[in-house]
Amino acid sequence: MEEFDAIVIGAGHAGCEAALALARTGNKTLLLTLSLDAVAFLACNPSIGGTAKGQLVSEVDALGGEMGVNIDKTLIQLRMLNSGKGPAVQSLRAQADKHRYHQEMKKTIENTPNLFLRQGEAIDITINYDGSKVVKTAVGKDYKCKAIVFATGVYLKSRIIIGDYTKDVGPNGFMNAQMLSDSLKSLGLKIMRFKTGTPARINGRSIDYSKLEIQQGEEQIQNFSFLTKRRSKNSAVCYLTYTGEETHNIIRENLDKAPVFSGLIKGVGPRYCPSIETKIVRFADKERHQLFLEPEALSTNEVYIQGFSTSMPVDVQEKMIRSVKGLENAEIMRDSYAIEYDCIDPTQLLPTLEYKGAKGLFFAGQINGTSGYEEAAAQGIIAGINANCYLKNKDQLVLKRSDGYIGVLIDDIVTKGTEEPYRMMTSRAEYRLLLRQDNADLRLTEIGRKFGLVDDKRYKVFKKKQKDLKKIFEITKTKYKIDDAIKKLYEDNNENLPSTSVTIADMLKRPNLDVFKINNTLHVFDAFSFEVVNEMNIICKYQGYLKQQEEDIAKFQKNERLTIPSDFSFKNLHGIRLEACEKLDAIRPLNIGQASRISGVSPSDIAVLTVLVKKFKGQ
Amino acid sequence: MGRGAISIVRMSGQESLKIAKKVFSCQGQIEPRVLKLGYIDIGGGAREKCLLAYFKAPFSYTGEDMVEFQIHGGTHLTQKVLSLLLEKGAVMAGGGEFSKRAFENGKLSLDEAEAIVGEINAESESELRASLNVADGKLKKKIIKLQSDLTEEIARIEATLDYPEEDFEKSAKEAIFSSLENVRKEIDGFLVQAKNARFVKDGIFVAIVGAPNVGKSSLLNALIGEDKAIVTDIEGTTRDIIEERILYKGIKINFIDTAGIRDAKDKVEQIGIEKSKKSIESADVVLCVLDGTRKLKEEDKQILSLTKNAKTIVIVNKNDEKRVLEKQENEISISAKDEKGIELIKEQIYSLVIGEQVDFGKVFIINERQIEHLTEAQKIVEEIFVAKDESMDIIAMLIKNLWNALGKITGQCENEAIIDLIFSKFCLGK
Repeated sequence: MEEFDAIVIGAGHAGCEAALALARTGNKTLLLTLSLDAVAFLACNPSIGGTAKGQLVSEVDALGGEMGVNIDKTLIQLRMLNSGKGPAVQSLRAQADKHRYHQEMKKTIENTPNLFLRQGEAIDITINYDGSKVVKTAVGKDYKCKAIVFATGVYLKSRIIIGDYTKDVGPNGFMNAQMLSDSLKSLGLKIMRFKTGTPARINGRSIDYSKLEIQQGEEQIQNFSFLTKRRSKNSAVCYLTYTGEETHNIIRENLDKAPVFSGLIKGVGPRYCPSIETKIVRFADKERHQLFLEPEALSTNEVYIQGFSTSMPVDVQEKMIRSVKGLENAEIMRDSYAIEYDCIDPTQLLPTLEYKGAKGLFFAGQINGTSGYEEAAAQGIIAGINANCYLKNKDQLVLKRSDGYIGVLIDDIVTKGTEEPYRMMTSRAEYRLLLRQDNADLRLTEIGRKFGLVDDKRYKVFKKKQKDLKKIFEITKTKYKIDDAIKKLYEDNNENLPSTSVTIADMLKRPNLDVFKINNTLHVFDAFSFEVVNEMNIICKYQGYLKQQEEDIAKFQKNERLTIPSDFSFKNLHGIRLEACEKLDAIRPLNIGQASRISGVSPSDIAVLTVLVKKFKGQ
Repeated sequence: MGRGAISIVRMSGQESLKIAKKVFSCQGQIEPRVLKLGYIDIGGGAREKCLLAYFKAPFSYTGEDMVEFQIHGGTHLTQKVLSLLLEKGAVMAGGGEFSKRAFENGKLSLDEAEAIVGEINAESESELRASLNVADGKLKKKIIKLQSDLTEEIARIEATLDYPEEDFEKSAKEAIFSSLENVRKEIDGFLVQAKNARFVKDGIFVAIVGAPNVGKSSLLNALIGEDKAIVTDIEGTTRDIIEERILYKGIKINFIDTAGIRDAKDKVEQIGIEKSKKSIESADVVLCVLDGTRKLKEEDKQILSLTKNAKTIVIVNKNDEKRVLEKQENEISISAKDEKGIELIKEQIYSLVIGEQVDFGKVFIINERQIEHLTEAQKIVEEIFVAKDESMDIIAMLIKNLWNALGKITGQCENEAIIDLIFSKFCLGK
């Protein structure tokens, strides 16, 4: 039997990150996928990033992951969302060339030492007495390993639904995995059934673009990866159109054929990703819904209709699409479908993403009840890092809510669970002013280095940024005499001129001045990169508020530091309500902070727990 | 906080002694477990005699450093000391917090655990019951309403930030600030209510100051006049500070005295300005009495300068005799002897403190902890208005802080509530 240190099941966005993390930290790793043509496949929208998701990508990158690098290589349009609303909520969003995205990631994986990419269906997992595991495949080739990362996406017992047509396949007609979830059940895992969907792809040549609003990309903005040096070029555009009364009428007339309402679909769908029929029913008074037309890749005419996901029968779909302005003659190339799939209840995992029921089994991505490529990649890299720690018998990594969106994401799902596919949002993060996309490296690259994923090249780039920041802050402290140039700068921007001298830090406190205007006058930052100048600008402008959040974090971390030993038993704790005991025992929090976030556990339960844990540790 | 001959104010935690030392002065060193006599500086140069007991960790009830002040009874003075300590950095204890800390620090055995937990839970249960009840629940209900209005506002802002490309009515700054204006008004209103509630409960405290022989004691006699009967049922505990009490429009007016206004002739001269300062500082209203039959003396001027603020009423006595004194700003001219102008003084005291007529049906009791949270909320509201020109992420953060501050009163602090509303209210997603 062929042996590996680790096996990653599934080569989607979670699986790729997990496998790369494992291989890059020196483990002989097998990446097993149902189809080699589905590696890092963008099964739904051809885009990466967006609010909160952009932050996740940069965090994955800062830790030494691949997603940021890969999207920077393959994007065809880039925009900064929320650019007028402050640095905390600004996020990059890119249109990806979905073919190139897949190809580049596959190429990276194929060329990574220690990493073996193979096609095959895992059907059964067994754990031996010595802790080693055997992964059985459908064709009878079995593999032995010490750790497994499950990153199966939406492929477990998946079923697509179009009207009254259903078929047991994966997304986009790829083969699914019929056996593996039963094997997981036998390992003690609780299985849930979720639902999601994807809209139709239409032929770009059949769209009348002359009737539509164009949406251009932006030039000269930052990248997802801290390693990418070049500025991205926009080679594609998107278009905007709307549904209208006619579309809504067609949907209403055909609601009896919609599986979401007929009861055919039983899985729980996400509120934030509703099908168009759900939108029409739930928001009946809305006169129109916007649709974005996004190119799938430069090498194809296929266009993705964002906002138009449906599981209606194909004839209704066609009528619906053709009722939209600009799409009167649209030719559907791939039908829209809903997909149901098995996933696990993520509260069965530790914040390290390891299964509480058996050591060395890690879970990442949509199998954990999340949604989104970025959420998947974020879990993938953590699962990979921790599987490596498990293999080397080292302390595993748990990111805190104050460390990054990844920390928020994992803490949320393992502590509170989720009743629908979980999507990251900036409003989920308490400390979002500090958890920005621009400073992901400053927050996480040291951690990535410590866990062996940040190579020398990345570390050097990071160290240089740190050094430059130090230098640039020194410059902001130097005093400038008020000369004509400074006078003009103040006057041009309607600011009151200070009396004698002024530092750049003072200037930055003025609402109408920013670092770029100042540099145009003083030219002191010419030698620094955009990233460094931008970073300094944000830190100076938001100093007071940043400090406020840092104080909040200090308070928050107090309880996070009160760790609960892994051999502490939550069963029948004296002085804690039975209901709370059961909840605590189900989650088995790592520290008092996590315990306090479990729903149904009261502050007085926490007070008692704190004492009991202290006593336990004292013994 | 209640009424007893002696009130005790307790602090627990590392900083206790440090904070205590900021307000307490005594001779020699403060030693653990030794009762120390000294003074609390209650502001305005006035001092109050009190006892201090210091317990050093771990030999205290909570197992932490603890300081206890034993002060003369009466809610007014206790409030004063309490707010002084809060001002110097102390934080109001949560319900059952001393017991909780004692428990956390292992001062209570495991056998006692269940009893204590019962107590802590009972406390929150009684709070729950109270929320359905009158008194304290009245405020809670109003805050719940206020917070849920704010939840809607936040949901719209967050939807705007998290779904910048979606097509729905986005949050506009003007709209946010106009609803914040409403929140600000409500919170300010609650704090006024809190103040009123205190007046309804404890009454208004009035100090009568003035140079010797201006007629302070005859003014006091005239003020209590036919209400004398009420004076007798003052509980003995407050005798130290309240000299006389009357009921006016349903509100108690307490004339506070520190130097025995009735013995004015022999004592005021000895006690002098320092003593006046003290009573002025701790009063809600100061009656500054002048003698209309003579020019201002140096002493009058000194007292006037001490009372130069809104809560002072200048009273010119002896209008039954020839007026020599020049016209004073906003004066009330009276004759204590003939009991003329006395009603006007009562009316002035009332309107100065209460403002418009209080609707007793609407007044609700707001406890010290709620006041603290409301004051915090008020501070944040003001901060938001200062930050009006900042970007949306900052404004969103501050509004969330405000929401959390209100959540300390309502118990609602789950972020999930906001996220649920985002999706139920707006049509979002691809």
